[in-house]
Amino acid sequence: MRPQTHMGFRGRLITVMIALVVLVSLSMAALFMVYLFEDEKNRANEQLNIGERMTREILERRTDLVLSRLQVVVKDFGFRSAVASGDPGTIDSALENYNRRAQADFSVLINNSGEPIASTLNQQAPEMMDALIDHGAGQGFTRTFAYLDGQGYEILQVPVQGPGLRARLVAGFALDQALALVVARLSGTEVVFRARTDSNDAYQIFAATSARDMEMERELTQADDTPRMLLNRQNYFSRAINLGNDDSGDIQAVLMISRQATLQSYYTRIQVIVVLVVVILLFAIVLALVIARTLGRPVLQLADYARAVGDGQSPTPPEIRTGGELKQLRDALRDMLVRLREREAEIRYAAAHDEVTKLGNRNALMQATQALFNNGDACTLIGLRLNDLADVNDTLGLEFGDSVLQGIARRLQSELPDAQLIARTGGGEFLALIPARHPDEVDTLSRHLLDVIQSPLQINNSPFSIRAILVTMELPNDATSTNELRRRLNLTFEQAEDQPEPVTRYRPGQDESHLRELQLTADLHSAIINRGLHMNYQPKLNTRTGELVQVEALVRWIHPELGFVSPEEFIFLAEQSGQIHNLTAHILERVAEDARAWAGQGVNAGVAINLSAMDLTWPELTDHLTRAFANWHQGMERITLEVTESALMKDPEEAMATLNRLRALGMTLSVDDFGTGYSSLSQLRKLPVQELKIDKSFVLNLDTEPQDQLIVKSTIDMAHGLGLKVVAEGIENLAAWELLQQWQCELAQGFYLSRPVAADQLAEIAQSLASRRQDLTENLLEDHS
Amino acid sequence: MKKITAAALAFLLWPISALAVNLSLTITTSDSNAPVSGAVVYLDQVDEVTPISAEIYQKNREFHPKIMIVPVGSQVEFPNRDNTQHHVYSFSPAKTFNIELYAGKPPTPVLFDQPGIVELGCNIHDHMQAFIIVSKTAAIGRTDANGRVTLQANNETTMPLTLKVWHPRLLDNTQPITRTWDSSNDQSLTIDLTPELPTDDTMDLLQQRFQEL
Repeated sequence: MRPQTHMGFRGRLITVMIALVVLVSLSMAALFMVYLFEDEKNRANEQLNIGERMTREILERRTDLVLSRLQVVVKDFGFRSAVASGDPGTIDSALENYNRRAQADFSVLINNSGEPIASTLNQQAPEMMDALIDHGAGQGFTRTFAYLDGQGYEILQVPVQGPGLRARLVAGFALDQALALVVARLSGTEVVFRARTDSNDAYQIFAATSARDMEMERELTQADDTPRMLLNRQNYFSRAINLGNDDSGDIQAVLMISRQATLQSYYTRIQVIVVLVVVILLFAIVLALVIARTLGRPVLQLADYARAVGDGQSPTPPEIRTGGELKQLRDALRDMLVRLREREAEIRYAAAHDEVTKLGNRNALMQATQALFNNGDACTLIGLRLNDLADVNDTLGLEFGDSVLQGIARRLQSELPDAQLIARTGGGEFLALIPARHPDEVDTLSRHLLDVIQSPLQINNSPFSIRAILVTMELPNDATSTNELRRRLNLTFEQAEDQPEPVTRYRPGQDESHLRELQLTADLHSAIINRGLHMNYQPKLNTRTGELVQVEALVRWIHPELGFVSPEEFIFLAEQSGQIHNLTAHILERVAEDARAWAGQGVNAGVAINLSAMDLTWPELTDHLTRAFANWHQGMERITLEVTESALMKDPEEAMATLNRLRALGMTLSVDDFGTGYSSLSQLRKLPVQELKIDKSFVLNLDTEPQDQLIVKSTIDMAHGLGLKVVAEGIENLAAWELLQQWQCELAQGFYLSRPVAADQLAEIAQSLASRRQDLTENLLEDHS
Repeated sequence: MKKITAAALAFLLWPISALAVNLSLTITTSDSNAPVSGAVVYLDQVDEVTPISAEIYQKNREFHPKIMIVPVGSQVEFPNRDNTQHHVYSFSPAKTFNIELYAGKPPTPVLFDQPGIVELGCNIHDHMQAFIIVSKTAAIGRTDANGRVTLQANNETTMPLTLKVWHPRLLDNTQPITRTWDSSNDQSLTIDLTPELPTDDTMDLLQQRFQEL
């Protein structure tokens, strides 16, 4: 990552600089080349302008010169005499002679009517004569350019006028290489003369400064014939100049400037520019490298510095020589490090301390105990919980509450000077770790501490005292992990709340039973849903007839791991955990179901179901009962609901209302475990119950305990007096059975008669009971007899 | 047809033509209709004319007179009254002659025995120019300042007439132009003339060139 960043920064810098240099160089070079080309073009154009003027001037001068010669000739008396002589031979020879004298390429003499008199040309060119005759009239000279017989000529016509002599001398002067050379020498251009016989024809070249130019111009001619235009050809700048009197352009001088030299200068300059650009590029690269180095090194140093800061080290800030922004960055990083440390300290402090008391917090305590467990050190934990802190906060305000907490914290600190840690772990909960001591010492210390804590605090100049509970644990004996510690500490606090003792010590094993309860509570739910509970039924017999009248439904739970769980335990847990209504509803359904089953097997028995105290305050109980026993096959009075004496007495009025509703359904109501609670007979009198069930503790030893006999007999008598039927449970032997028969207890239940059995065994038990009926009623018959 | 008309006209004019008649006409330029003075007008007829002796002298490098009408057969002398010599000559078909450089009076006069226009020049003074109109008829005259001329025609003259007109400023002044004229229809003739050259500028083109150089 580091070299990549390194390269990236430097690479980007170099790239940008080179791109910039290339862009600037190339655009300037391109501009320069364009201007150069324009300049060259303009220069060529200017040269061609000059050349054109020069060409015209040269031709003008030449015309003047030859005209002068011709004027001398035509004024010559001898010439005139010869012409006037009328002798063709004389005239011809004279013309030839004067033609030479005038240095003309040809001469023709024509008379006043335009007819040729004599000519130096070997053959008569008719077209030439036409051209000459056109200009034959007039007194002065005429000048024209003509293309005759493959050669361009400047043709001058001057009158030959003597006294009585009227003729015209036509003289032709070739536009030849000599003239082209003169023009070329003066104008500095190549010169080509060309002509065409018709405007539709191609130009024919008849003279040029050199043969090569003739070839060159021939190429040009094929492409563009526009006169007076700067022709941008591959190799030449050119200019066509129209000769002649009209603009037909039939005969032209073409000036050409070779572009070779110009192009050559381009190439030379391009080379120079390329070299320059390369040099600038190299310079830019070197510069970029130098800048990247001077700029990059401190940046990398700062990066290292920042990385070290990030790793939590405290490095010394790097020396920055370049200054400026990088120095600012360095300073900013340095300041950041300082503030980072400060903030980190604050966060650490906040993470481990309570805001109000400045003691440690739960985190700190957990860390400390964890360290303790890891090291295997022994220690005593003292826990303190303020009882009414919430009330204090509510009534006196949070600030006051905070003052109380701070005061308690101060007292703990002064009372436990050797504490390893004092922490506030909850609203009003303080925990202190002190060196391990003997339990008695701990007890003494705790009591003293609690006294100090509970003694009045001076808050806002007024005394205030608060109650507290105190628990102690020995570590690591009482707990070996933080989780255990938390759970057991909590358990001990809960226990302490219910205890009158001010100081509670954790007792080993408490936590295990607590765990069992937790597990049972958790598993009970699934047991209810998954029919993990079993229903047992214990028969109740009519003491008089020995008949099976009813069975009491008893719920049993065989836990898959923990084995048999007593109904008292899990019903209590169900009540504690709020599952009791589910359990009751479940039992109702199971009983109704089983009752239908055994009714089908011919067993004619009512059912007795135990209700929890909490069921009596359950509004939906009647609905569940109605629904469960909707298809009940017998009279509703054969469904007995047993409610314990204590349950009835918890909230008699509510219980009364519920019982009335149940009674309205036609069910029989029974007071269970009669005689064990503190039942009020006045209450009992008001309750809509039809039955009392004498607790089995009075019946189990009925045959041998005279006091029990007295209690049972008088209870039966009292019940009968109140119009209630009596059920006795716990019959273990024949003697008890017979006594109850004798005292006219209506129903009896017990192991002597039958143990509780599963629903599918009930038919069998019913048969065996029927077979014992004779034996059971024998005694009674004897009495009657 | 033309002959019949001509014969009829001749018959009608007969009593008059028994005597000499004066024919008057005016010559004007065709472009501006201005009267042309100095034009020589004559009938294309042959009369018995009497030759004369005349002279054209040279003074101040000029011929005097510049235009002269002489009957056929006349003799003309060219006395030189300048202090320079002159070389008088003519290439005109009517009379080609050449009097080489001389001073004073040449020994013999020049005989003009052919009718026509004879143009005179001096070989060493190009600007010197004169014309001799050698006439074979008596009916010849020169227009006055109003361009008017009166010709003495004999009584045999019939209309229309063939007139010859000449002027030094004719386009081709080596010969006259021929016109048919009827006095009863028209009292004037028009001719084309070249523009008048400035009289004070007597240098020829070559001289002008030299001056410019």
